[in-house]
Amino acid sequence: MLPEWRSAEHLPAVAASPAPVIVSSGSAPRQLADLPKDELDTLGEEYGLEPRRFKTPQELVAAIHGRRQLIASLDRAALIDVVRWGRRPVPVNATQEQLAFEILRVKSMRFDGLSERGLIALARLRGVEIGPDEAVPVIVKRLKKTEGFWAKINRKRRAVLGSIVSGLVGESESSKEYQFLPPQEQQGQGSAGGAHVPPRDRSIKEEIEESGLFGGIAARVKKTADQYINQKLDDIESRIDRKLDEIDRRLAEWRDKEIANRLRILKITLWASVIVATCSLIYTYLKVHFGK
Amino acid sequence: MFDLDPFHFFRLTVGWVATIYATVVLVQTLWGWVDYLSGGERYMTVVRRYLVLHALRLRFKTFWGDVLICVLLCWVFVLVWMAHNAIEG
Repeated sequence: MLPEWRSAEHLPAVAASPAPVIVSSGSAPRQLADLPKDELDTLGEEYGLEPRRFKTPQELVAAIHGRRQLIASLDRAALIDVVRWGRRPVPVNATQEQLAFEILRVKSMRFDGLSERGLIALARLRGVEIGPDEAVPVIVKRLKKTEGFWAKINRKRRAVLGSIVSGLVGESESSKEYQFLPPQEQQGQGSAGGAHVPPRDRSIKEEIEESGLFGGIAARVKKTADQYINQKLDDIESRIDRKLDEIDRRLAEWRDKEIANRLRILKITLWASVIVATCSLIYTYLKVHFGK
Repeated sequence: MFDLDPFHFFRLTVGWVATIYATVVLVQTLWGWVDYLSGGERYMTVVRRYLVLHALRLRFKTFWGDVLICVLLCWVFVLVWMAHNAIEG
């Protein structure tokens, strides 16, 4: 059986299926505090925290607890907007926490196409303090400020690399409509929205900008291979289905022919019996009335 | 003196031989199917269920004409038999 803390909150982002209800209870931090340090660090990273910045486990636990409350307080529609903008693979019935975990993986600093409520949600998840009446350009400015100098340089470098590779590959930047993953059904079967599934429909330029040259190319190759294998598996499955249907149809035809044949034989036998019986009747009649 | 009627002799002989032959062949066939379907092979349960499924999917109206003719012929045969008994007394 899973420990209590793991059953709701510590499941991986999309693999965790049922709604982990976030309840702000006084006992939660105490349960988190019982965790080993490495597990606590991993949990903190999932919540978008940097565990090294916290001197003691108690501080990290408090930060995680704060994060949970923050996620619970966010508007779901705003989170969906961010997921659509970031083109993250999530099922349509993903929980608030799953959405937040996916959003925390988005490192993009291009906010074009993101709604205002989505921008506010993203800013709050990235730890930017914003007032209720902040204008969109101000929020964007503050978000960009949170990115460190070297992180910004690295991102720019990756973007340039992405442009070069994109130009080499000849990929056009077509923006397809965002599609949710199939809805997750029950606990333990949430792998449809696996945390390591590559994001859908992002251009190779964006992937390289976010994950680096090798990471982006590897993700693209993996995605293409997955698509190819899935397509082939679907083809094989449909071929097997067609063959089974054909076998079934032929068996039904054979059954009908066989029954019709048996009935025909039975009919011939009955006709012969009736003819012989009639002959016998005539013979008996002649013998009884004219034979003496 | 023993009065041998060739027609009745032929009729009864053919009747007995044909009936015994048909019964033996029918029992043999049925026994073969029962033996095959009661086997303990791995997929025999699937075969059994598949046969039941095919039997349930059978449509009577496909064969109703032949079945009706068979029933009528049986009825005619019984009538002829009764007429035969009535003539003989």
